Amino acid sequence: MMSLYQSPRSRKLRIVSILGGEEMRRRLFALGFHQDDVIEVDSQAILKGPLLVKNLTSDMSVAIGRGIAQKILVEVMPDEK
Amino acid sequence: MKNNSPVVILIGQPNCGKSTLFNAIAGYKAETSNFPGTTVKHTHSVVNIQGRLLNVIDLPGTYSLNPSDPAEKVVLTHLFQERPDLIINVVDASTLGRSLELTLELRELEYPMVVALNMIDLAEKKGITIDFPKLENILGVKVIPTIAAYGRGIKELLEAAFHCLDEGCPVSSPRWSKDVEEEVERLADKLPPDFFVVANRRFTAIKLVEASQQFCCEVLAEIDPLLKKNVDLAKANIEKKRSSAAYEVIAAERHHLALKISEQSSRVQRRGPLSWDKRLDSILMHPVLGYPILAGIFLAFFFIIFRIGNPLEGVLLRPFDNLKSTLPGLLGSGLLYHLVDGLILGIAGGIGIVLPYLFPLLFLMAFLEDLGYLARAGFLLDTFMHRLGLHGKSVSPFILGFGCNVPAIISTRTLESQRDRIITSLLIPFIPCSARTTIILALIAFYLGPLWALGFYVFNILLVAVIGRVLTIFFRTPSPGLILEIPTLKLPSLTNMLKKTCLQLKSFLRFAWPILIGGSVVLSLFQFFHLDKFFNSLLSPLVVQGLGLPRELGMTLIFGFLRKELSLIMMLQALGVNYQDVLTVISRQQVVVFTAFVSFFIPCLSTFAVLWKEMGKKVAFLSAGLSTAVALLVSFLIRLFG
Repeated sequence: MMSLYQSPRSRKLRIVSILGGEEMRRRLFALGFHQDDVIEVDSQAILKGPLLVKNLTSDMSVAIGRGIAQKILVEVMPDEK
Repeated sequence: MKNNSPVVILIGQPNCGKSTLFNAIAGYKAETSNFPGTTVKHTHSVVNIQGRLLNVIDLPGTYSLNPSDPAEKVVLTHLFQERPDLIINVVDASTLGRSLELTLELRELEYPMVVALNMIDLAEKKGITIDFPKLENILGVKVIPTIAAYGRGIKELLEAAFHCLDEGCPVSSPRWSKDVEEEVERLADKLPPDFFVVANRRFTAIKLVEASQQFCCEVLAEIDPLLKKNVDLAKANIEKKRSSAAYEVIAAERHHLALKISEQSSRVQRRGPLSWDKRLDSILMHPVLGYPILAGIFLAFFFIIFRIGNPLEGVLLRPFDNLKSTLPGLLGSGLLYHLVDGLILGIAGGIGIVLPYLFPLLFLMAFLEDLGYLARAGFLLDTFMHRLGLHGKSVSPFILGFGCNVPAIISTRTLESQRDRIITSLLIPFIPCSARTTIILALIAFYLGPLWALGFYVFNILLVAVIGRVLTIFFRTPSPGLILEIPTLKLPSLTNMLKKTCLQLKSFLRFAWPILIGGSVVLSLFQFFHLDKFFNSLLSPLVVQGLGLPRELGMTLIFGFLRKELSLIMMLQALGVNYQDVLTVISRQQVVVFTAFVSFFIPCLSTFAVLWKEMGKKVAFLSAGLSTAVALLVSFLIRLFG
């Protein structure tokens, strides 16, 4: 288990838990980010910028800032095939 | 609303094509109100369809009915206070799973509802096939497939809407897992009989459980301690059963139900090769390549506007110049001559100087907006915005500000924190809007060359950064982090971009142009009665000693408050020369000082009004003071080093 911020790029990840304040969690829920969703980090902007995260469960892309990405715990899913 | 026609509300998540749908419906319109800056809350249109009137209201996009920013609160106000006769829920078919979360929440209201399943073409491209009858069956709500951008499905949607209004169409709330359902139902039963019920008892109970602590429960404890106890009990029970917060459990219930419905009613075939938008996106959002592209887009933006605007300006102005040169022969030099001269200058200024730049600018803005580039710029620039104490979500309002500051300030409603809103709203008036771009292009690019104008632009943006940096010293609370949806890239439709551009051009012609004409006629009259000398000598300490400009320009600076372009048109009038001959009376440096002062000196009347309305009197006056100070400072500096 690791924070989304440290997780490897372009690998399927499962959201284990979302830490952080109620306000932030509510915003993530509203954008369709929930526990157990499968996500993937596609890209990161330069200079410790935000992550581009694709939620494969609800099929949407969201830019997530560093501070928030550190509060999302994920685990790498075993490779299919 | 004055008439008794049924009220139809359009609700949907951001980027679901709701406004496009609204425009497609309002295409049938009899009368519409769409004044930028006055109808800031929503767009409202009285639509005449087959002889029947409908009040159609387009609300800002919202992810859920638990608002997290001021734009989303507007949605709730409308839903609850002006109880609509019908809801049209616009759903993005290409992201069915998460879009249905809002649909489920709307069903809880049990208001009559029709679902417009929009952008089905996009869904098909993504390999998604939706079984419409099945979806309709599961949801218990009429589902109409539409492609709003091409006007497809609109007729069927309206027929379904009328059917719903005439015959009624009962909607029932979705039920959740038993353990959660029990608690909600128990709480609904315990609501006191005189309690203010929104929509229905169950919905009210859910919202009480879901609401944030201070939002409902501190107030509730004061009014009704017993009910507060029941709400707390329901929450505690849910939390005990599921070992997570009650609001989270309810959000998860909707999430899972929505995913389940989406799986039942649609099939996804994974496409092999990457589609064009994915490939384009991987370049646009590339951590390194993205930045030169961003800079390139900005440069292209600038040069296209100049390349189109500049020659067009020459062509459009020539007949007016010819007309003007024949005037003294026809009318002599009396009052009539001055009146007609002012009138022609105002008309020519609007059509000949402003329009050639305004049209390409609005069109390119519409292109960037419709493409979905604004959010991408937000992603790329987030890091830099952090240096200003803001984050990437403010980028979109800033970019909109290049079109017009008024909608830009309204769009700060999408920012969650009040602090971010204040800083962003104070910075937006420094963004060179279309009016000021016109001035920069028509003066600096025309007399000094396009590279100088570009330099002015770059300086302007650096200035915004510096002011932002200074402002954050006074606002210490940290900004909440970035969570920003990156919508799918969409190939903008030409008709849509043209429609958008024309709507804005129309509003320019209807509201701004008369001010330009009126302003130059007033100046003509002032000149005839020699009143201008009086005002100019009053202002001359500032204008002549302070800015080093000819004293005749004094009044023109003041009139810039009404419309920034008015300063430009009045300047020509006050100097008494043709556009081509300005450099015979003032120097290049004076041109730059004039442009800088007009650009930065107090926000124009509409911007000031919208600042007042959105952010309060204090922020409006703070902004006026700040920009006056900056305008003076910058003008002095240019004079000093120029």
